[in-house]
Parts: sequence; structure tokens; C-alpha cells
Amino acid sequence: MATEGESTTGLESYKRAWEPRIERVRRGWDRFTEHRMGVIGLVVLTIFSLWALIPSVFAPHTPDWIAYIGYENARLTGEQIRSLPHPPAFGDPFFAPLGTDSYGRGILTLLIYSSSTAMYIGLAAGLLSSLVGVPLGLISGFYGDTWIDETIQRFVDVMYGLPFLPLLIVLVAIRGQTTTNIIIGIAVTSWLNNCIVIRGETLSLRTRAYVESAKVAGASDLRIVFRHIMPHVLPLSFVYLAQDAAAAILTQAALAYLGLADFASLSWGIMLENIQAEGYIFTAWWWLLPPGLAIMLIATAFYFIGFSMEDVTNPQR
Amino acid sequence: MTRISGKYLAKRLVVSYLTLLLIMTLLFALIRSAPGTFIDSMISPEMTRAQVERIREVWGLNEPLWKQYLNFMINYQTGEFGRSPTWRVPVWDLILRRMPRTLILFGASYIIAYLVGPLVGMYLGWWRGTQKDKTIFGTSLMVYSMPAFWLAWLFIWFFDYEMGWLPSAYMMTQFPEFEWTAFTVMTDVLTHIALPLISLSCIGWVGAMLIMRPSMNNVVDEGYVFLARAKGLDERTVMIKHAARNALIPVATGAIVGLAFLIDGAVITEAVFTWPGMGQILVEAVLNNDYPVTQAAFFMLAVLVVGMRLITDIAYTYLDPRIKFGEEN
Repeated sequence: MATEGESTTGLESYKRAWEPRIERVRRGWDRFTEHRMGVIGLVVLTIFSLWALIPSVFAPHTPDWIAYIGYENARLTGEQIRSLPHPPAFGDPFFAPLGTDSYGRGILTLLIYSSSTAMYIGLAAGLLSSLVGVPLGLISGFYGDTWIDETIQRFVDVMYGLPFLPLLIVLVAIRGQTTTNIIIGIAVTSWLNNCIVIRGETLSLRTRAYVESAKVAGASDLRIVFRHIMPHVLPLSFVYLAQDAAAAILTQAALAYLGLADFASLSWGIMLENIQAEGYIFTAWWWLLPPGLAIMLIATAFYFIGFSMEDVTNPQR
Repeated sequence: MTRISGKYLAKRLVVSYLTLLLIMTLLFALIRSAPGTFIDSMISPEMTRAQVERIREVWGLNEPLWKQYLNFMINYQTGEFGRSPTWRVPVWDLILRRMPRTLILFGASYIIAYLVGPLVGMYLGWWRGTQKDKTIFGTSLMVYSMPAFWLAWLFIWFFDYEMGWLPSAYMMTQFPEFEWTAFTVMTDVLTHIALPLISLSCIGWVGAMLIMRPSMNNVVDEGYVFLARAKGLDERTVMIKHAARNALIPVATGAIVGLAFLIDGAVITEAVFTWPGMGQILVEAVLNNDYPVTQAAFFMLAVLVVGMRLITDIAYTYLDPRIKFGEEN
């Protein structure tokens, strides 16, 4: 039977409970925006996110569009085919601001429609490796120097003994060349760093007074780890999430270069693979430069955000 | 005085060996679970069942899986890698021929990376937060974010395709018109190694810098740095002799881990420059299900990584008196 008065106080108590957290986030944000690097990264990432979410607003055509004939179900004449890949062209005979590839598709269109793949791979691989690495690191660090820690660390050693890219090639070859499998493969091989860093942080945190007092108060191990220690390592884990995301995007491009990608989808790595397969690397600069620059920019953005956050969470000066 | 007890050493050796066995088991399971086997390409539809069985027997695939696993574990530990079904030569020959080429290129780039990286990291960490630091750090992160093969293409485009200054493929001129003397061969290899080396080093040093910078920044406020300044030493000496030496320890760890990642660079860069090394055959072997070559390459890398890990652990106790192993209680 909530009356008007009670619900207000309920709201107020919520407000009071959340105030310090909001305040903390706000302070963190203020410190983050002090870093110009991080802000640049955020802006770039926002643009790419917009490209990924609403590509049709930015792109002049859809990927089905083909130079000269547009969306018509027609054939290109021999002369038209010979003019492809076409350098940037405005107005007649068609509109392709960054030129076309040798199939007649607009480079800018492909670039914008590929953004979602890169964002998907980066975020999903980063999240997955955090989801594996952070809990394992927490457990390993909390039970430091016991058999649990030893087991996890030996397993990390084993995984480090396997070479990253060749292992990834094996994994993708086993499970089939789809974007999801590539993400899983990247996550399987890239959670190690997260685990080691989080373990080190947890090792130093578990001797803190508030952990001791939680233990004295009778909190279970599970509660101490996830309620008292985890909030302190989360910022650090976000730093590594951003770096993992950047590494994942670069890895996907490298895999595409080796011919291991889902060629039914669109991605910047596949655009680069296509230019190689078609043999225009040194003659079609308008096709060569944009995908590479896009990969570079999105990876840089993730790195910029990651390293700025490292400064925020661990202010040295 | 040694700080390592014999018991600790023995324990580390056993653990390292078990790690190696575990890696090998994982490797076996992984490689065998890939669809198809290498004999698929040797079988044609005209063959009779007996012929197919014969091929399977020759390559030891007719035995039950557990026996294949046992054979693999025993043979590889005694250095019996067998023959490669793809290249039709003993795996050892293949490795002995290819390995030095990979080592030349990647050894050189590794040395450059770990000379330049820590040096730049030292300066950036020392003057962290200044405009110079921000500019250089941001730029190096951008370089670090380039796809390696794309950067290599740009270099080939400019130096080979546009300018024609440097060759961009193979290790030597394929049909040389010059006389074969030690000097001409040397110069020929050097011009061929230039482009791969430049494109590898361009990206490679950033990794070392990323470790050195925070490490250097951590020692900036240490007491001994303060003391060195108080003694009246100039800033340069303090930075290089007192701060940097202590900051180098994580970089050394990173360098060891980095060894394992060299092969990743090898896979891509060797493919771009058709450099006839290990990375090239590794990819081909994986894609062809060439078990002997894949297993041998993975196995040797695993031995390298596990062995180096063991050596660094022991070496550290001598390098840094603060690290103690196996001495507690």
C-alpha cells in the first residue's frame, strides 16, 4: 500500500543511495575529458558507431549498387568493365565519392556498411575475453598461492605456449569461417592478458583493510570477490577490453588477408583481401587506402580510449 | 650465494615439463579435430579401397587414435618429426632450411624493436604528461594500429612499384645476372631484407615502448632517483643509469613473451614479401592438414616459450635481489 508520501521517500532514498555512484562516474568523466587523446578516440568511435547503426544515412548507395547500372538488373558493357576500378568520380556517369572497386561497388558505401562488422568484432571479442579473463583473474588472485591459483596459472602458461595466429587459424579452420567463429577464436586466445593483469591487481587488493573487515564480518568468499574486490578492478578491466577490441579488429584483418574470413559479409579486411585477389594493390590507391585507414582509425580510437582510461583509473601524477 | 634451493629448481623443471606435455596434448587434440586429413589430397576416385588403406598405413593413420597420440608424444620428445606429406621431405630438413631465414629477418627486427622501443619509452615515461610525450605517444599508437600487411603494401608501393629502389619479394634475385661472390650475394640479400625489415620494425618497437613507458613512470618518484638527483648528478645520468635500469625488468619479461609473438608477425610479413621462412610453411601446413609439419612447428615454439619462461624465472632471482622464489616459510 504505497501512499504518495512513501513513494517519494522511496525515490529519495534511491537518489541518496545512487548519489555517490553518479558523483563518482561524473568525476571519472571529468578526469577522462581532460585527456585530449581519449576524447578524440571517443569522437572517432562515435562516428564509426553511427556508421554501424544507420549506414543508409551516410552512404550514397547500398552495397547492391553497381557503377553505371545502379540497381538495374542489367549487364555492364565491356568498355565499362575495363574502366573498373574507377577512380573517384562525381556527376556523370555515376556518383561514387571514393571511386569504385573492380566489381563496380562504391568504396565509400562499402566502407560505411563494413563499419558494423568491425564494431561487432571489436566489442564482442573484447567483451568475451573480459568475461573469461576477469573472473578467472579474480579467482586466481583471491586464492593466490593455493592449488586453485596454481591450476589457473599453469593453464595460462599452457595457452601462452601455443602461438597466437597459427592457433587461431586452426580454430577457425575447425569451426568454419564465420564472423562469430572468428570472434570466439580471438577470445579463446586473448583472455590471457586480462587474466594475468586482474590477478596481479587482486593479489594486492585482497590484503587491504576493507577486505579483511568484510572477512571478519562473516562475508562469504564469493561476496568478497564480487562485491568488494570486483568494483575496484573493473576500471582496469575496461582498459584491457578496449585494447582487446583494437587487437581483435587488427587480427580479423590479418585473418582476412590470409583468406580466412566470412566472404559473404562486408568488412574492411575483406576489402583489402579483395584488392589483393583482384591485383590492384599498386594501381588503385582509392581502393587501397580507405579500408586500411579505417582499420587504423578504429583501432587507434580503442587504444586511445583504453590508455586514457588507464590514466584515469591509475593517476600517476 | 645462491638464492635458489635445489628443491625449487627441481619443482620448476617438473612443472615446466608437465606444461609442455599438456601443450602437446592440447595440440594433438586441436590438430586432429580439424576436418579432413592430409591424405585427402593423395586419394583420387580411381583408387581401390586397398590402395587407400595402403596410403593410410604408410602415414600411420590406420592405427587407433590413442596409439597415434602415444606415438606422437614419444616421437616428438625424441626429435623424430617424420616426413612432411605436403613437401615430401623429412620435417627436420624443412625446418633446418627455413628456420635460419626466419631467424635472420626476425632476429634483426627483434633487436631493432627492443633497442628503439625501450629507449623511446624511457624518454616518454620520464617526461610523461608533457606535450612532446602526448604527441609521440599518440602517433606511435596510430602506427601500432595499422594492419601489418597494409603497411607493408604501402612500403612496397612506394619503394618498389613507384621508385624501384628496393626489391619486394623473395630473399635473393631469382635469376641473377651478377657473378656469385660473397660480396654480391651479401648486398643482394641485404637489399631484399630491407623492405620486410623496415615494415616489421615500424610496428614492432611500439610494443616494447608500451611496456617501458609506465614502468619508467613508476620509478620516477622512487627514493633512489631522488637520492641520485640530490647527489648532484645531471638529469641524463639519473634517467639512464639510475631510473631506466630498474625500469627495464618488465621490458625483459615482455621481450620473452614477445618471442612467442614473433611467429605471428612471421606469418603475415613472410606472406606479403614471399620470404621463404617458417611462417609461410606454417600457414600452408595448417591449411593442408599437414600434421607432421604443423605439430613440429608448434612443438618447437612451445619448447622455446616454456624453456625461456624457466630461464627468465631463474635469471631474475640473480638480476633482482628483491625477487625470491621458494624460500618462504
